[in-house]
Amino acid sequence: MKIIVAIKQVPERDARIRIDSTGKWIDLNDVEFAMNESDAYALEEALQLKEAHGGEVIVLSAGPERVGKTIREALAKGADRAIHIQSSDETELAAYDALGVARLLAAAVKDENADLILTGLQSDDLGLGQTGVILAELLSLPHATLILKIEKTDTGLKLLRELEDGWFQHLELPLPAVLTIQSGNTKLRYATLMGIKKAKTKEVSVVSVADLAAKSEHLKPVVVLEAVKLPHKQRTTQILGGTPAEAAAALVEKLQFEVRAI
Amino acid sequence: MPLLIALASSNLTGNLRSHALLAQFLLAEPVHFSWIEKLLLVVLIVVSAALFWKRFGVVVNKILKSRKDPGFHLFPIGKRIWDFFREVLCQAKVIRERPLPGLAHAFVFWSFLAFALVTLNHIATGFGVGFLDPAGFFGRIYFYVAAVFALLCAVSIAGLFVRRFFVRPIWLARPALPGREVSWESGVIAGLIFALMATYLASFFVTDASLAARLLWWSHTLVLLSFLPLVPHTKHLHLILSPVTIFLSRGSFSQIPPLEGDEDFGLVTGKDLTQLVSLQAYSCVECGRCTEHCPANNTGKVLNPKEIILGIRGYLNEYGPTAEELLLGKYNSQEAAFQCTTCGACEFQCPVGIEHVPIIVGLRRGATNTGAWEDDYGGKLFNAMERNSNALGMSQMERDKFVQKQELPIFDGTQEYCLWLGCMGGYDPKGREIISSFVEVMRYLRTSYGVMRKEKCTGDPARRLGNDLIFQQMAESNLEAMQQQKVKKIISICPHCVRTIQEDWKEFGAPPEIEHHSEFLARHQARLPHNKTDEKIVYHDPCYLGRYRNVYDEPRAVISAAGELVEAERSRERSFCCGAGGGLAFLGEESGERVSSVRVQELVATGATTIGAACPFCNTMFRDALANGENSPRLLDIAQIAAMHLPQTAAKSPA
Repeated sequence: MKIIVAIKQVPERDARIRIDSTGKWIDLNDVEFAMNESDAYALEEALQLKEAHGGEVIVLSAGPERVGKTIREALAKGADRAIHIQSSDETELAAYDALGVARLLAAAVKDENADLILTGLQSDDLGLGQTGVILAELLSLPHATLILKIEKTDTGLKLLRELEDGWFQHLELPLPAVLTIQSGNTKLRYATLMGIKKAKTKEVSVVSVADLAAKSEHLKPVVVLEAVKLPHKQRTTQILGGTPAEAAAALVEKLQFEVRAI
Repeated sequence: MPLLIALASSNLTGNLRSHALLAQFLLAEPVHFSWIEKLLLVVLIVVSAALFWKRFGVVVNKILKSRKDPGFHLFPIGKRIWDFFREVLCQAKVIRERPLPGLAHAFVFWSFLAFALVTLNHIATGFGVGFLDPAGFFGRIYFYVAAVFALLCAVSIAGLFVRRFFVRPIWLARPALPGREVSWESGVIAGLIFALMATYLASFFVTDASLAARLLWWSHTLVLLSFLPLVPHTKHLHLILSPVTIFLSRGSFSQIPPLEGDEDFGLVTGKDLTQLVSLQAYSCVECGRCTEHCPANNTGKVLNPKEIILGIRGYLNEYGPTAEELLLGKYNSQEAAFQCTTCGACEFQCPVGIEHVPIIVGLRRGATNTGAWEDDYGGKLFNAMERNSNALGMSQMERDKFVQKQELPIFDGTQEYCLWLGCMGGYDPKGREIISSFVEVMRYLRTSYGVMRKEKCTGDPARRLGNDLIFQQMAESNLEAMQQQKVKKIISICPHCVRTIQEDWKEFGAPPEIEHHSEFLARHQARLPHNKTDEKIVYHDPCYLGRYRNVYDEPRAVISAAGELVEAERSRERSFCCGAGGGLAFLGEESGERVSSVRVQELVATGATTIGAACPFCNTMFRDALANGENSPRLLDIAQIAAMHLPQTAAKSPA
């Protein structure tokens, strides 16, 4: 099975975020980057499928040179080769919306004719959750989102998909297909010294954003990022009064309908 | 000198009263050897030597064919000579850790040394070229001295025989091997040694020309020549190898060797075994001191450090040092290797210079660096360290918040000390309390200090669990940050951080000077206010402070200033681990009994009302272990004990 995993490098989850002087993005100085969490799970699924059924795992990532570190990490964990859609600087890709990025990704993998394309459910930075599904549309492939379990059958895939409120959906899909993976359903392997050393010899083909863009027709971004703001933190405390039984009932109601935790 | 002779001979006969009688008791040597006897002697010597070399040559070959040790330096040689003098010649470790059998062993050893000349002369006599005259001044004295040793040796070896076959300490056995509950060849060897001494001593009671003298001479020779080939075939190989092993140690306690080149991932297959590892494996005398002191083995785990070493020997015997067979397979198990807390008790106890911890960590490296080790908790720990750069997997912002709340100054190169928080000090609630107390003391003393703006884990758990990738990332990144900030002196509340920064980081650069807060506190004792009570405080020696750093008295000084110091049954260099070391604090539930609860029971049994700890990991293990008990003693770090009597104005409320 030939599997492509689209991975995004994002600012580390607990990085100290500051808005940069343009007001349109965060200040990237002093920020450390990491592999997007749900993409890490997508990679793990791909590696497990490869281990069970053989084949090849190809990592696909777009971004400036710094993305190379995340690509090497994926190669170290067991991916076979990589495609790096390299932007010339931090701002080049900012001009693309989700559709634009998906078009770049589609152009880069079109000729690979992969059996399966996996990516994370959404990115930890923008959180749009769009890129995977748009990519599927552009490649005219069936897709499913929020996948927790993948099982290969003779005819295609059996999937477990997470719905809201604790509901799950069982699906079957033919191959090739695009899936976006939910975090947390499997254990992530750790990168090893041997993996890192082997990764040095693995192929990373670099294509520039400009080259890929030139091959397809120019589209103006549909979505334009105007400004980013830090979320306003709010902390409130509510005391649930009454008898213990009343307080407990009130708590259950809040957990059920306000917080939706149960 | 007459006194010595009188003593010696009175030992022999018990009833001698005058010097006149002494002349009768000279070592008898047969007068003349026929050429047939000489020929027979030559043949026997050749056969014995050949049988000896047949096995010993194989062992030497396996050791020499092993890989060279990366990072091994013979110099500085001073420590090696001292260790050799202390541990080999003086038998200091053998005696100190098991006094009675240790002394018995020492007498056997010293007798062997004394017998070197006797034996040489004995064989020379057979060829008519004996160089020591039993009636001459030097010869007479030397043979009497040797006789004293012979007597001591005979008594000692008989005692050791009784111990092995009748007292039967379980540590001497090899429980994993059926039929090897006792080592029968040791009985044979003991018999031979006894016979050597007996034939020598008996020779004082016969005359040169007698048939008895000739028979004794030949029996002594035959015993000697049958003893020789047995040496390399049994654990008595340690006679020859262990002095070399002790001399050629890695240089310092539990030193983990650097990895060399792109193909070195630790001990994966036979090809990775180094000369030192192979030498040590063949040196093992199977005394079981390592196992006797192993916290894992004592709490029902699979790990048995002696069997780890003998497993490597078994591997070398079957596959050899160039084999591609996995080391964690037939002879050693991954499960055992990952139960080690790296407390170092085994290595500290070993009388023949085996360095268990680098070997066990080497096996772990081989498993982890290649991804062969699959463990839910281990994987989580490594991913957390990679993602959050701390072993607790918490957001680095949490550390920032703590630093801000405690108003800890940021190190900028102007302060004297860089206060290293570590994962426990920066993220763990109890560890933070220790930091807070220590900071109070530093503020009271007006010591200038600052904390790093950003800190990553020293890499200790990754290092000990064999993940060199993460360890390297952590060490390099921290070293770079310290270089930028021009850090000169570090102080830390965590013995694991201290050890890892001072010793392990050396693989990737030159770490700044570092000390443990107990050393700082002891140095400034005089300037701190004390209010000594009669409260009983038991001190627990953390492995990484005691055995690893040789710091025993400083924390005791801090405790003695606050209350009455009491000692647990096992303390100082014999201290029993808390169970957290070697990354095991992060690996979830143990099989068998918990190491921490065994240790806590010991500490509680002293009747102390306070347990004094000096390591945040010990602290957290004991906190859990104490949680079940009623009327538990309180648990304090020595920093908290030192800060107890500071004036309130200087104190700040803990976070």
